[in-house]
Amino acid sequence: MINILHRIKWFIGVVLIQVLVLNQMHIYGYATPFFYIYFILKFNSKTSSNELMAWAFALGITIDMFSNTPGMNAAVATSLAFVRTPLLRLVTLRDMDESFLPGIDTLGMSSFFRYVLLTSSFFCTFLLLIDTFSFFDLGKLVLRVLTSTVATIICIFCAESIGRKK
Amino acid sequence: MRNLLDFFLKYHNWFLFILLEVISFALLFQFNNYQGSAFFTSSNRVAGSVYEAANQVTGYFYLKSINDDLAQKNVELELQIERLREQLADLTNDTSDIERLKKESLAGYKLYKAKVINNSLTFADNYITLDKGEKDGIRSEMGVVDGNGVVGIVYMTSDHYSIVIPVLNSKSSISCKIKRSDYFGFLKWEGGASQYAVVKDMPRHSLFSLGDTVVTSGHSAVFPSGIPVGTVEDIADSHDGLSYSLKVKLFTDFGKLNDVRVIAKKGQEEQGTLEKRVKRGHK
Repeated sequence: MINILHRIKWFIGVVLIQVLVLNQMHIYGYATPFFYIYFILKFNSKTSSNELMAWAFALGITIDMFSNTPGMNAAVATSLAFVRTPLLRLVTLRDMDESFLPGIDTLGMSSFFRYVLLTSSFFCTFLLLIDTFSFFDLGKLVLRVLTSTVATIICIFCAESIGRKK
Repeated sequence: MRNLLDFFLKYHNWFLFILLEVISFALLFQFNNYQGSAFFTSSNRVAGSVYEAANQVTGYFYLKSINDDLAQKNVELELQIERLREQLADLTNDTSDIERLKKESLAGYKLYKAKVINNSLTFADNYITLDKGEKDGIRSEMGVVDGNGVVGIVYMTSDHYSIVIPVLNSKSSISCKIKRSDYFGFLKWEGGASQYAVVKDMPRHSLFSLGDTVVTSGHSAVFPSGIPVGTVEDIADSHDGLSYSLKVKLFTDFGKLNDVRVIAKKGQEEQGTLEKRVKRGHK
């Protein structure tokens, strides 16, 4: 019970950070950090895929509500939740039956970096691809995906190092 | 039957995944196609009030530059009025005419004050959320302007909030004309920088030059004619070579929108339904 309350608190926290701060941020008109996927990345490794998808869908649809893109973030966050377990298995040597919270402490720096890199580039590519349908411009799309991925990774590592110090 | 159940149990992840994706994409396409429910957008109550609270804080940061803009605009207008007054006095020797002119130009229009509580610039389809809605008299298809020029058109409304399609949206299309020569085209946005948009379908025989001012044409029921849009920055041929498309530098700075006015025209609904009826008749 306390666990769920804690999770809801986190949920509201990342939504507010994303919509009030990060969505207003457009570095050079291209990069927007999508920090909210940190919420999905930090689920326990043993969380069932269904539970994770349900949370991700709820999170995505909430972000959508604020940014007038109904369905867009929800679709991408759900698929991120769907591929998270295989990706996690790919980057780590640990036994997946073990229960652990993905982080620098548990995975080590290089594995965690690969985990964040894979997930955020997957997320940014998919999301910006959907967003770009109206005016397709490959050069600009690639630039936006690259800059947004880098910005997302930086944000996640900042949050991770703040979390570790506590 | 048993096999079927086994099958469902084995692939339950896939089913949930597909279900959620179908819901998401249904929402996405439905919203893009027509004015669906406003529930999943920032005009719903929760999102609206969060943005409103945040705007009360961030609104202060822009006050200085907005004040500067307004002061500048005020001085320009005062000079202009003074000059026109002199001319009019020369021509008619009757000062009561000025009062009459002022009344006439706004006759038939009603202005509502509104605050921008959410705004984006970088997507292909940007939207603006306003803190006024149906209860305040705002309806969809009303025009939105700020002190510098055209902002966009109201798309959907809830009781207390409304969503505007600004010029910076692939769906936006606003009828406008060259102020000097009255030739008209329509204003579209083609992505990229938020300071520029394009006027399309400008006839090949039309007269204009770089630096000309573009204003709204007044042909649609949305905007009265003569609201400033921007200045002509570059001229190019359209893809089919039948008309010009003009790159326009917009007067409105979408990066710091805060206070806007919503324009309601009396008889707007009547003109709208009449035009719709004619269009249906043609099909």
